[in-house]
Amino acid sequence: MTRLVKPRSLFIGLSVLCLLAIWLSLALGPVSLPLFDTLRAASRLLGLPVAADGLEQAELILGQIRLPRTLLGLAVGGVLALSGVAMQGLFRNPLADPGLVGVSAGAALGAAFAIVGGSALGGLPEAFGPYVLSLCAFLGGLGVAALVYRLGRRNGQTHVATMLLAGIALTALSGSAVGLLTYLADDATLRTLTFWNLGSLNGASYARLWPLLLVSAGVALWLPRRGRALNALLLGESEAAHLGIDVEGLKRELVLCTALGVGAAVAAAGMIGFVGLVVPHLVRLVAGPDHRVLLPASVLAGASLLLFADLVARLAMAPAELPIGIITAFIGAPFFLYLLLRGRA
Amino acid sequence: MRLNIRVVAFCVALLTNQGATAADLPQRWVSAGGAISEWVSALGGESKLVGVDTTSQHPQSLRALPSIGYQRQLSAEGVLSLRPQILVGTEEMGPPPVLSQIRSAGVQVELFSATPDLLTLQGNLRHLGQLLGAEAEAAQLFDRYQKQLAEQNARVTEAQRKQKAPGVLLLVGSSGGKSLVAGKGTAADWLLQQAGGHNLATHSGYKPFSVETLASLNPEVLVFADRALSGEEARAALFKENPILSSTRAATAGRVIELDPTLLVGGLGPRLPQSLAQLTAGFYPTPSAKAP
Repeated sequence: MTRLVKPRSLFIGLSVLCLLAIWLSLALGPVSLPLFDTLRAASRLLGLPVAADGLEQAELILGQIRLPRTLLGLAVGGVLALSGVAMQGLFRNPLADPGLVGVSAGAALGAAFAIVGGSALGGLPEAFGPYVLSLCAFLGGLGVAALVYRLGRRNGQTHVATMLLAGIALTALSGSAVGLLTYLADDATLRTLTFWNLGSLNGASYARLWPLLLVSAGVALWLPRRGRALNALLLGESEAAHLGIDVEGLKRELVLCTALGVGAAVAAAGMIGFVGLVVPHLVRLVAGPDHRVLLPASVLAGASLLLFADLVARLAMAPAELPIGIITAFIGAPFFLYLLLRGRA
Repeated sequence: MRLNIRVVAFCVALLTNQGATAADLPQRWVSAGGAISEWVSALGGESKLVGVDTTSQHPQSLRALPSIGYQRQLSAEGVLSLRPQILVGTEEMGPPPVLSQIRSAGVQVELFSATPDLLTLQGNLRHLGQLLGAEAEAAQLFDRYQKQLAEQNARVTEAQRKQKAPGVLLLVGSSGGKSLVAGKGTAADWLLQQAGGHNLATHSGYKPFSVETLASLNPEVLVFADRALSGEEARAALFKENPILSSTRAATAGRVIELDPTLLVGGLGPRLPQSLAQLTAGFYPTPSAKAP
């Protein structure tokens, strides 16, 4: 595979794209704010001394609705794409996605458990219902991923193939458990469950954002340091070990980072498919397979894609809103096909 | 006499006071929840509505208003873009973080209970009446509603003295297919009871059914609510998708009744008494109608 652009221009391009996405995400929405008001409100949020007269609405919309939403989109998109690279590197398989070690399925199970179980217990208190849901999803994701990792270990070694199969088995198992809970759910619960599965950045609030921001910042700073090790792993496990890479440690790190990152992302925004699978491929098609470039570039590309998808989600049907999971695939898949076909020609 | 004057003065004060608050009443309304929107319209508030959710389908004219999406999945900015002064809906409205964002933007958010009982409805109507400045109409509307339901009860009791309550199954589906049977604890179950039918389904919630169960239950009356089709088309689709239904007592006797599926969500709505009366008429046919 050859690369089309140099890393330097790739990073400049992606940074510009990401900044553009952030700006549009702050400036556009169903409520149309004059550009000047947006600018003034934005500078006030940055702590600049700007007169506050007539800015209450702009400040509220920017500060309480659009900014948390933008941050959520950045964190979720970045961490999903990054975990996608980590999993594709770990399994040396282009079809790997963050769901492969069972995180997504486990998180879905945790969420279904919280939604259906909560309503069976007479409804969770309104105030911390969403927190319980996020926590259950996060723990479910971590739990299933830990189990998959444990099943893949034998005699102090992690067998990637066993882990992959264990991941498939546990994903199927969690899926049927979710199915059972769906069957038991009443009408209202069922709808909550359905919408949760489609994912959304809607209703982002700072209180639920901080844990995700912390986790994803940690993962996004940590994983790119493993670019060289992942490159070596592409040659094969024993080859990487001969090159002086601690392969067992690397596997553990990759699984842990993915479980933490994807678990937190899914807990905060529900299931958002496609980003983790295809963004790494997109970047690879443009920049080549070097993980030292691929890892950080995927963070930027994933974050940008999710923000653009969210823009469509909130604008296409305004004042109503589309679930974002529908749009990520809708934007990403044709673009991916285009790159594939162009590469072949 | 002095007391009377005081009373009159008090009343005048009350009236003028009300006149003063009428101007402060919210003028731009967004409503989520089918039944609530219907009541707002019934109380003369339709012209104040600037947006409704996807479950608000009656009266027909509401469909022309901007849609804020599904009531459980509202978007804060979407709702705010309609510049409403008040957002009304049932407890199903959400998600809660979005509601608090809307509240913090200075929009009054009023939640109404969707529990199907008259006491709840009375409270809801009184509250809506106050918000719309139509308290007298609200009280009148409730009295009429209560009377209609009392008549309905009397009709059922009367009919049940002469005939046994028929065994009924209620199917909810889309274009005839993927039908679910309404079990215990659903709005549909409550509706059947109020209309004097005996729900044969013993499970809880809406569940898919096995063909064998359906044949063994052999309902005397089938009620179906189709979300996609209506009338003859829906009836034909139902039998085409579920051929087993043709062998039930209900089908052979031609006792298959259609129900508007929007009646099954969002609590007691204004169209309920009329639909109940229709169901009861189907459950307890008069001897003349029964003759072939």
